[in-house]
Amino acid sequence: MAYKIGYIDPSFNTPEELIMAANLIPYRIFGDPTIDLMDANKFVPPNHCFWARNCLQRGLNGLDKEIKGIIITHACDCSNREYDIWFEHVSYDFYYYLNAPLKRDKLSLKFFINDLKELKFQLEEHFGVEITDKKLYEAINLTNEIRKLLKKISEYRNKGLLLGSEFHAIIKNAYKSDKKDVLHNLKEKLKKLEIKEPLPYVDGSKKRILLTGSILDDTEILKYLESLGFEIITDDLCIGTRYFHNKIEITGDPIKDIANFHLSKPPYSTEHPSSGRFDFIKGLAKKYQVQGVICLVQKFCEPLLYEYPFFRDSFKEMGMPFIFLEKEYKRDSYNQLTTKFEAFKEILGGVKK
Amino acid sequence: MGRHYLAIEQAYRDGTPTAWATSGTSVEMLYTFDVQPILPENAATISAAQKVSKKYIESAEDLGFSYDLCSYFKTNVGAMLNNAPIDLGGIKPPTFMVAADVICDTHVKWFQVQSQRYKVPLYIIDVPHVTSNTTNKQKEYYQSYVEEQMLELMDWISEITKKEYNEEKSREVITNSYELSEYWIKIFELRKTIPCPVSTKDTFGGIFPLFTMPGLKEPIRVFKKMYQETQERVDNGIGALENEQFRLLFSGIPFWYNLKFFGILEQWGAIIVFEPYTYSFGKFLDPSMSKEYIINNPIKAMAKIMLSFWYIYDLETRVREFKRVIKEWKIDGLILHNNLSCRPNSCGLYDLKQRLMEEEGIPSLVIESDMNDPRKMNEEQLKNKLESFMEILQKSKKR
Repeated sequence: MAYKIGYIDPSFNTPEELIMAANLIPYRIFGDPTIDLMDANKFVPPNHCFWARNCLQRGLNGLDKEIKGIIITHACDCSNREYDIWFEHVSYDFYYYLNAPLKRDKLSLKFFINDLKELKFQLEEHFGVEITDKKLYEAINLTNEIRKLLKKISEYRNKGLLLGSEFHAIIKNAYKSDKKDVLHNLKEKLKKLEIKEPLPYVDGSKKRILLTGSILDDTEILKYLESLGFEIITDDLCIGTRYFHNKIEITGDPIKDIANFHLSKPPYSTEHPSSGRFDFIKGLAKKYQVQGVICLVQKFCEPLLYEYPFFRDSFKEMGMPFIFLEKEYKRDSYNQLTTKFEAFKEILGGVKK
Repeated sequence: MGRHYLAIEQAYRDGTPTAWATSGTSVEMLYTFDVQPILPENAATISAAQKVSKKYIESAEDLGFSYDLCSYFKTNVGAMLNNAPIDLGGIKPPTFMVAADVICDTHVKWFQVQSQRYKVPLYIIDVPHVTSNTTNKQKEYYQSYVEEQMLELMDWISEITKKEYNEEKSREVITNSYELSEYWIKIFELRKTIPCPVSTKDTFGGIFPLFTMPGLKEPIRVFKKMYQETQERVDNGIGALENEQFRLLFSGIPFWYNLKFFGILEQWGAIIVFEPYTYSFGKFLDPSMSKEYIINNPIKAMAKIMLSFWYIYDLETRVREFKRVIKEWKIDGLILHNNLSCRPNSCGLYDLKQRLMEEEGIPSLVIESDMNDPRKMNEEQLKNKLESFMEILQKSKKR
């Protein structure tokens, strides 16, 4: 049986390839918006990130038995402080806190390479494996192939052949399954899409939107948006475009290549500088000719809350309808947003495609 | 502190470089280049003490900043929007800004927002986070990363100010900072005495030169005098409280708009004798930072300060340090502030409380409030909670 390393990442900076080269399966831990948070609320005050508390509760409840270690990757304040609480209360023999740097420059690249090398060393020591360059490049080739397929598949959202929610479920699966199975499934999916006829729901009444925000890992929230008449054409989510937008460039130094890949991705709100995130979204919105942008943010997600006035003003200047909503990480609370979304849909009604 | 604000006004009049800095960043580096530091957090506490922070916070919220965001940040945004005068916490856009994520990521977002709004260059120092199982090997490359950024920052400031780095000046600044901290820590040592010679009123009021003026000579003289007076009180057996019964620790940033609240403790004969928040600005707490070391390695020392700051402590180190403090300062109970504006600081309070109770038998009270937003303080509720807590302490002391 192949064992897994569970990882928690409020952004996407965890080196899956390093874990794969240690003969382990990288398993991204998602929240579960149907569970009760009694214990997590005890350890972490309830005014902290809903999603992070939810993940902690999942850990306290017990994760899959195949998971043999935990990596928590830095992105925001919730990650490093809560790592210690995981370390104290959720029992695993292997724990690593990955200090993904805040900046995207030469010094931070050098630092990130050092931290990845240390992770490599600790994985080798703990699991008694040797992570060779050959194994690393095998893993890199595999994830690059997966990214290429995901990119192709993602385009079918724009052709009316794939729902945003379906694609979201595909990405989630890619994050938590054995990558060889993922590759096989994606090839099959693409074959089916290539011969698929347009769906009957493409009737013009749906509103074409770009979805952005923070840690939207519950596919049900995308289904909910679709039920209200929105068509998710594109996104700038970690569980979405950020996962496959770039590929790992191969130069002969695999650790450096992995570090470079993560530091070259489109900027995120937890990084510095982060203003490029707006430019990236703007580019996607233009490319896919969306009618509006929906930004859904986990309650208490500070990096996004700080950027809201800038996003609001910038989209206004661009003439792009934009809605920013905070949400609780509880599935039964989604319906509370309906009135606001319906009002937004009405605004989009006046905008030509 | 008056001198500090006069110096700021003078710098603007003369057109000499000024810089905003977040607390925890290396203010010493700014003094090395004769750049006048301005700490928006310090200015925000003035707004709170002058009872105008609420107005400024609400101005920032009108702009779209959430009710849940840091109240220091919103006070600064609102004060700028309202053109607040200097005595109400108003500050002006600087020549450049420097922030670090050593205390929180909020500092980075705050300065991103304001540097964008006022079109001012910004340098960010990325400080890696130490956790419960960080190894010494990891700490070494963390240190190198911060050091390299300090060298880059040096070049960056040099380019803006058109001034060369001066090693001698750097040594002088870091030595002044060290001496200032030395007196602060000596005062804390004297607070171990029963009765405690200095109350929290003096430490919360006296802390500001440590993060606005480290590097200057003048505050050292003030701190030396404060230390000598404290020593005299100790020699004469004079306590800050007439009838000291209980010795408490207060963890977190206080509520600057209502510091008098702490006066309530006197009715139970209770006094706060230690605050990790004020103690942490003693900065040179890492035992490897001797005076000789910092003089010979000023830039390394500036980096080291950021990596040994109390705020960066992981849970294990925090528990260990609290245990040491409880023993050495003879603490009877703890008041832990779950500060709604400071999530990193409040994360882990439950474990801290439990561990200290289970392993040391020391009771703690967790109170919820906010450092700068008076809307988030329920005074009556706090009084009731304190009353119950003091009853517990009275009972446990009788046993």
